[in-house]
Amino acid sequence: MKLLNTALVASLLAATSLIAPANAGGVLRLDEVAVGELDPGKASDFADSILMFNVYDTLVLPVQGGPGHAPHLAKSWSNDGNSFTFKLRGDVKFQSGNSLTSDDVVYSVERMKALGAGLSYLFGVVENVEAVDGSTVRFNLSSPYSPFVASLVRLPIVDKMHVEANAASDDEWGEAFLSGNGAGTGAYTVKSHNPQAETVMEKNADYFLDIAGEAPDTVRLRYGLEAATVRTLIATGEHDISSQWLPPEVIAALAKNGAQLLTESGTGAFYFKMNTTKAPLDDVNCRLALSTAFDYSTAIKMIAITDDISAGSPSTGAIPKGMFGANDASMVQMQDMAKAKEYLDAGKYDAADMELEVSWIAEVPLEERFALLMQSNFTDLGIKSHIKKLPWALFAEQVSKPENTPNISQLFVNAVTGDPDTLLYGMYHSSSPGTWQSPEYLNDAMVDKYLEEGRSAASEAERQAAYTMLNKRLMEIAPTIYGFDRQSVYAASTRVSAPALSDPAHAFGLDGMGFSFRLMEVAE
Amino acid sequence: MLPVLHLLARRLGISLIVLVGVSMLIFGIARVIPGDPARIALGPNATVEQVTNLREELHLNDSIVVQYGYFLADLLKGELGISLYTNRPVTTDIAQFLPATLELVIFAGILMVGIGLPLGIASARYRGRWPDHVIRLVSLLGVSAPSFVWAVILMLLFAFYLPIFPIAGRIADTYEITRVTGFLLIDTLLAGNFSAFGDALRHIILPAFALAVSGIGQAARLTRANMVETYDKPYIEMAHAFGFSARRIANKFAFKPSMIPSLTIIGLDFAAMLGNAFLVEAVFAWPGLSRYGVAVILRKDLNAIIGTVLIISATFLIVNLIVDLMIALLNPRIRYSQRGST
Repeated sequence: MKLLNTALVASLLAATSLIAPANAGGVLRLDEVAVGELDPGKASDFADSILMFNVYDTLVLPVQGGPGHAPHLAKSWSNDGNSFTFKLRGDVKFQSGNSLTSDDVVYSVERMKALGAGLSYLFGVVENVEAVDGSTVRFNLSSPYSPFVASLVRLPIVDKMHVEANAASDDEWGEAFLSGNGAGTGAYTVKSHNPQAETVMEKNADYFLDIAGEAPDTVRLRYGLEAATVRTLIATGEHDISSQWLPPEVIAALAKNGAQLLTESGTGAFYFKMNTTKAPLDDVNCRLALSTAFDYSTAIKMIAITDDISAGSPSTGAIPKGMFGANDASMVQMQDMAKAKEYLDAGKYDAADMELEVSWIAEVPLEERFALLMQSNFTDLGIKSHIKKLPWALFAEQVSKPENTPNISQLFVNAVTGDPDTLLYGMYHSSSPGTWQSPEYLNDAMVDKYLEEGRSAASEAERQAAYTMLNKRLMEIAPTIYGFDRQSVYAASTRVSAPALSDPAHAFGLDGMGFSFRLMEVAE
Repeated sequence: MLPVLHLLARRLGISLIVLVGVSMLIFGIARVIPGDPARIALGPNATVEQVTNLREELHLNDSIVVQYGYFLADLLKGELGISLYTNRPVTTDIAQFLPATLELVIFAGILMVGIGLPLGIASARYRGRWPDHVIRLVSLLGVSAPSFVWAVILMLLFAFYLPIFPIAGRIADTYEITRVTGFLLIDTLLAGNFSAFGDALRHIILPAFALAVSGIGQAARLTRANMVETYDKPYIEMAHAFGFSARRIANKFAFKPSMIPSLTIIGLDFAAMLGNAFLVEAVFAWPGLSRYGVAVILRKDLNAIIGTVLIISATFLIVNLIVDLMIALLNPRIRYSQRGST
């Protein structure tokens, strides 16, 4: 016992007497809540996207600060009906040293489709892809799909030779290898990957584009840090950028202590989705009454972080501002109780007989506040409601049947490619009910028609027209209360400069792409 | 057969039966948790077709008996399947995360024994006097607040306001230590890197102390109560009469018999820390198995849930076995009762 105590005391003294190492220069440290999926064929959520956008490259990139797409690994492309042909740059090398060829593009598509995971569904429309020559690749689509080029921002190009060299007989697509290693052309290489702790990336000195000298040499993407831990780490200078999932109060406290706030917006919104198959919300007047009774301005105040920055901006309709078909920014949704009562009077149900089930996702405590706000707004209309907390897993199961789906469900939905098709088709087309995105169970012929036109229109003007009509129709039939346009807010150390997350002229309009580390700068 | 060996064989047999029982129980319970594991694993954007394919791949459409059969067949090959959370073999995850938790728990156990027992001895020795009152108050504080509260308090006090200890992780980013055992305190010494050892030690102190506080209080209170009872025994009175010093009586004559009930509880506390460490691991960003266990339960990652529970159960059984052996060594009556039962 005496020996044990002596050893214990000696250890404690030895440990406390050591001086903590100084902050490493050129290191960027940030965090995300979920474990990061390194395999680009399986990437789907935010942490995965950050890894993907830095370790791998895509044929095209969204234009910074504007609409459309710019060449990236491709130097040009052409479109002939259902075929898209891309000419590849000749100066691109993978991190292994192999040169990029059209075979790598073919392999990347085939791998993604074979795995059938992540965002592979975006390429279901690709009938086949062929290497025309070493630097030309052609995608043949089974049907017209206008947002195809936008989808390519989710097709990371994988080093075929390198993956095949590391694949096993029972692992044809090298899943084991790519779950812990990178095989891309990206500006950052994977140094180590611990899915529960962090992924460490280092700057790729042979990247085909110039990288600013001040861009971080090393990036440590940490996973699953607690809010209290992140707050302490940033305050003590041991962390640089928080995740967007910190409670607004914590982000506000960090801002008050001198942290800068970075933002990313334009790809999604927060929706209150109404089950249109169950009474009383099968009546359009009842839905319009609820939509008009909702207190939009209080909702925005509830997510305000500072006087200037909020986790959302006022909604103008079904389509977030900045996308095809979005309403003018001045057409902000407002509460109008008199109008709401008019709709209710015109409806086929009596308010006194209604009792609505308003659900919120247990993992997102913020949603409880919105549930309470709705309950209060609906009470003013004379409608009773009860609030139900649902864990995500249970919610996803319940919405698979319309009779089990709550009257109102709250959800954040994003366009995974930045195109409205990937936001709206899954939510409102009658062929895709019963998923977490579509608890409305909407079945409206006009909505289907506009969604299909948006997919098949040949020109951007036609797409704009289709989505404008779609937005108008969705406002008329109100399957959803369009709460607010989402804006992700991150607290960051002032040593970080991230134009894509702070200047709209440099923003990509695609979730996670603002975290392209090659475009960031870190002060020593 | 030697009594201790007999005890060991018997306990090992029982442990094996318990592990099989635990595997069946957890296999059933994991499937009752709401939610489709395939849907959760593939994420919100997966199509119905993707979910259906994964369900098929995981045999989720088969009966639970058939699924258990697949599990046992894999287990016999030393495989626990793929984790849907990390997309890696569960055995790889366990091998990576278990040493971190074991290191933390063992260090916390050393603190629990190294601080709790002396406090209990001192409290009993000075019973009714001010050191006793102070120790009892401190012990009460220790047992009344959960470990995550201590974690946050300790972090604020000793990492934020007084920046003595680091906040997160197992070692500073600047060190690169070759993994040999997975225990950083050992690997740094094996590498001969004493600076890294000191840094790893600095990283483990706060989380281990937060985890141990409750156990320290418990150990002190139990030791005190048992020793106070022992002090009333006639042989202690006789030792006083022989003129032995108070310190010798406390450490030699009162402590050993008082340890037997304490040891059982300390053993249980020690094993329970394996499961309870998850909040401390979360606060200090400690990449351990407890945190992994909670994450996989929330994501209904069936293979990983079973793997983690089996490993924690096995460790629990091993610790209990060690405690039983220690008690048998301390108490000849238990040791020889094994011979009688043959």
